Amino acid sequence: MISSLAKRKKMKMTVSYFVLIPFLVFFLFPLYWMLITSFKTDTEITSLKGIPLIIQSKPTLAHYKKILFGTEFLKWVKNSLIIAALVTFLTMVISILAAYAISRLRFFASQYFGVGVFCTYLVPPTLLFIPFFKIVGSLGLLNTKWALLFLYPTFTAPFCTWILIGFFSAIPRALDEAAFVDGASYIQMLWKVFLPVAAPGLIAATMFAFTVSWAQFLYPLAYIYRGDQQVLTAGIYTTLIRGDVYFWGELMGASLLASVPVVVFFAFLMDYYIAGLTGGMLR
Amino acid sequence: MAISASTVNRRRHPTLLSRLRSRRYAAYWMVLPLVLVVIGLVVYPFFYSIYLSLENKKETKFVGLRNYQRLIRYGTFWLVVGNSFRFTLTAVFFKATLGLVLAIILNNLPFRGQRVWRGVSLIPWVMPLALSSLGWWWIFEPTHSAVNWVLVQCGITGKPWLSDPTWARVSTIVTNIWFGTPFFMIMYLAGLKSIPQSLYEAAEIDGAGATQRFRYVTFPMLRKLIAITVMFSTIVTFANFDIVRILTRGGPRYTTHLFGTYAFNIGIETGHLPRGAAIALFMFPVLGIAAFFILRNIARGEE
Amino acid sequence: MAKITRRKFIKDVAVGSAAVAGAMAAPGVVRKAYTQKPKLSVAMWNHWVPGATDVLKAVADEWAKKNKVDLRIDFIGPSSTEMLTVASAEARAGTGHDIIALTTFDGLFFMDKFEPLDDVADYVQGKYGKYDEVSTYISHVDGRWVTVPSPTGSHSYPMVTRKDMWREYAGIDVEDIFPPDVRKRDPKKVDAYNYDAFLEACKKVAKAGHMYGNPLSECSDADDWACPLFLSFGSIPVDEKGNITIESDETLEALEYMKELAQYMPKEIYGWDDASNNRWIISGKGSAIQNPPSAWAVAKRTRPDVAAQLWHHDTPRGPKGRFRGCLFFTYGLWKWCKDKKMAKEYLKYMLESAQQWKILAAAQGYDMPQLKPMYSHPVWEEIGPPKGGQYNYIRRGDEHLIVGGWPAHPLIGAQIYRKYLIPVMAAKVTTGEMTPKEAMKWCARELEEVIE
Repeated sequence: MISSLAKRKKMKMTVSYFVLIPFLVFFLFPLYWMLITSFKTDTEITSLKGIPLIIQSKPTLAHYKKILFGTEFLKWVKNSLIIAALVTFLTMVISILAAYAISRLRFFASQYFGVGVFCTYLVPPTLLFIPFFKIVGSLGLLNTKWALLFLYPTFTAPFCTWILIGFFSAIPRALDEAAFVDGASYIQMLWKVFLPVAAPGLIAATMFAFTVSWAQFLYPLAYIYRGDQQVLTAGIYTTLIRGDVYFWGELMGASLLASVPVVVFFAFLMDYYIAGLTGGMLR
Repeated sequence: MAISASTVNRRRHPTLLSRLRSRRYAAYWMVLPLVLVVIGLVVYPFFYSIYLSLENKKETKFVGLRNYQRLIRYGTFWLVVGNSFRFTLTAVFFKATLGLVLAIILNNLPFRGQRVWRGVSLIPWVMPLALSSLGWWWIFEPTHSAVNWVLVQCGITGKPWLSDPTWARVSTIVTNIWFGTPFFMIMYLAGLKSIPQSLYEAAEIDGAGATQRFRYVTFPMLRKLIAITVMFSTIVTFANFDIVRILTRGGPRYTTHLFGTYAFNIGIETGHLPRGAAIALFMFPVLGIAAFFILRNIARGEE
Repeated sequence: MAKITRRKFIKDVAVGSAAVAGAMAAPGVVRKAYTQKPKLSVAMWNHWVPGATDVLKAVADEWAKKNKVDLRIDFIGPSSTEMLTVASAEARAGTGHDIIALTTFDGLFFMDKFEPLDDVADYVQGKYGKYDEVSTYISHVDGRWVTVPSPTGSHSYPMVTRKDMWREYAGIDVEDIFPPDVRKRDPKKVDAYNYDAFLEACKKVAKAGHMYGNPLSECSDADDWACPLFLSFGSIPVDEKGNITIESDETLEALEYMKELAQYMPKEIYGWDDASNNRWIISGKGSAIQNPPSAWAVAKRTRPDVAAQLWHHDTPRGPKGRFRGCLFFTYGLWKWCKDKKMAKEYLKYMLESAQQWKILAAAQGYDMPQLKPMYSHPVWEEIGPPKGGQYNYIRRGDEHLIVGGWPAHPLIGAQIYRKYLIPVMAAKVTTGEMTPKEAMKWCARELEEVIE
């Protein structure tokens, strides 16, 4: 009886892994391909001989050298970091305040706010980028990275607010009552009592805002034209492709390097992220 | 500042009225930044683009619905509409299904294994889409395609991944599925964890098999989560720009254009910004209707 | 113990918002700081030739130093589409660079916002003779010079042939027909290099497994070879007066020709982008494309064996002549520029032959000059291997230089070009999606929308 149960479990495991392996290959193949391309010599990249799935001649660091020292890559990293960090901070301030107000403080039309906030997602960047030309220009922010700081909250704040509303709603009101009895102000209550309890949700929202800001492509492409103001995504695309000349080795290498910060970020905070994201959703 | 006795009294024992008043006041202030962002950077530009779409090409006079009429009259626009729906519905269906399947499988693994697989599976979603699209483009590139090389080794002819309408659509959808499935998987995995084991045990005692357990325990418990994730993904996928722009630029012969990329092509590349705005605005009612139905579904589910 | 809820809260929010607002305003404040020198900002295309932008910048900085101007040049990439996006953004915002470089028709989209550059054009033409026909077509519109032609980044699409492969498989020696000295051309041989001979040759090289490849998709490279081909058959989409003349026997003839030719071209051309034909010939698979020397330059770096066999030369002759597609750059001067006189001085300086000589050399032959005196620059004879392979990259013979959409009014031509109507029409026929007659009708309908 017991051995057949164990055997059944083992079968289940094997089948599970059997099904998972192709997916793993699917998910990781592009990464692998980009990695080996970034180490292949130009000659090997353009040749059609042999097996393209491995590096056949001597691997080279030339592409990475060119990326780090021959382009403004490091400036883009700096810009991406600054913008993503500032946008995340700004988003969290906006979202925490709004989510707290909506979930806790009953006020005029507060129950519709949740849905209303969500509706802003129906107006996507591909629609907004056209009228934004005029707005960004009239503020004198065209061709500067500060235009992004101004625009990114449009797609980070609503979602983060939404996550946090879900999360805050789940925190028992008894906590609030206790704090008020002690005479705390709203801000104190928020800061000292509420936020520590809502930590997973906060982490999830922070990571979402950071990741999405880091990856944004259309806005920097449309509004920034100077290398020293550009961020990673658009910088890589506009500099490592010139007319009809593509620097594939550099493109792949730079794309991988640009993904490292977010992957590392996720690796550390993934558990919190998942707990936070779904904790809010399921309520 | 003079403190009168009454003020001191009020502060020490807040009356219901004063608590309510200050609560509303605080609430308005707290919501204000978000409201400003939404009104200033979403509502206003939205109405501005409506106004823009009603102007002529030189933006000197108001021509009413002419841009919309022109769009509806010509076949290319309907091609874009069809593409967008086909792309979105196919991609979202596969992403959700694969995500669910993977989540269920992952959930059955021992805990340590789960963490590793979870982390690895998230990578496509975490990489900036514009950059991973470049990687996919290189994989599909006709002369140097890695996929075709593998196919040829297996005795199958290479496929025209980017030059044939059908295959080009497949390529864009596959890339989107690659990118989006991890999101669904992670969501459903956590959702599965929140289903109490007791429900499964009860079902097993009642004699339910694996499929029945799924139908009567798993799926109903995940309904709300499925609805929310499908809705978000539909909206975001419908408005996709990066993948199509980088892989096919809308071709071959307009067969992979989405609203976002077509709006960019017409608005910027042919210099007809008002018509580009009109194209982009078509997205809004479609997304609105989709969102309405799904939200209603969620609300009904709550009852 | 009891705090003043409202007041402290308001203070917190106020301080927070002020900090954020201050952070956002700071750059603006810094930028508006008062500077002594007059400022000029220019947006140029980010040239792919390594070092070309540095030379251009050095040449420009010399002028800036001499005239005590605070000059700023932004090099923007990757392609002309980005230049157009920048221009669209700036036109909308009403502010931005002073001078911007745009390709083909793009400058005309902003006709009303550009300062007429008649004095600059007259100055240059006065010194060096008239501009070629394409440059004039895209810059001199409605009686004035909307933009002024710029050779930097300008290129055209000659035939680029693997002379070894064509000698061996097709029996055509392109080096012999188009030698690196125009005086040594044999008119009979040049005349015999027509589209019929070309088709026959393509059949032979296809049989040997090395096809001629060029895109038939939505990219400018597709326009740049398909439009000249159609014109050489006498097929005109829209004429100078604005009549839609696409439905004609000549168009039918061109479509039939394309249908045959496409059988001997790779099937992937319907999804190719601007760089695919480069990759096609560099990989060694292709034997001919139509492209500027960028393919050769990359081959020199990665496949020198291929590069040494690449010969750039004239396009084949059609029933109505020889045509070659071009993608030329122009300079536009925005009306909001504070010191227009100084900006025009800058343009005049940069377009003078002394400066152009240096810039053309730095571009390693990629840039096409638009004035006759520049043709005698030695770069095209010297650069190689193969030596002389780019001699015929600039027009030496009887080719008409055009841009897709010609001869219609440039604003109409712009639509034809940017909607890739000619290559898409051809693709519809060659893939069997439509018959030639249906395709012509489709194109005529699209052109109706373009005209109105």
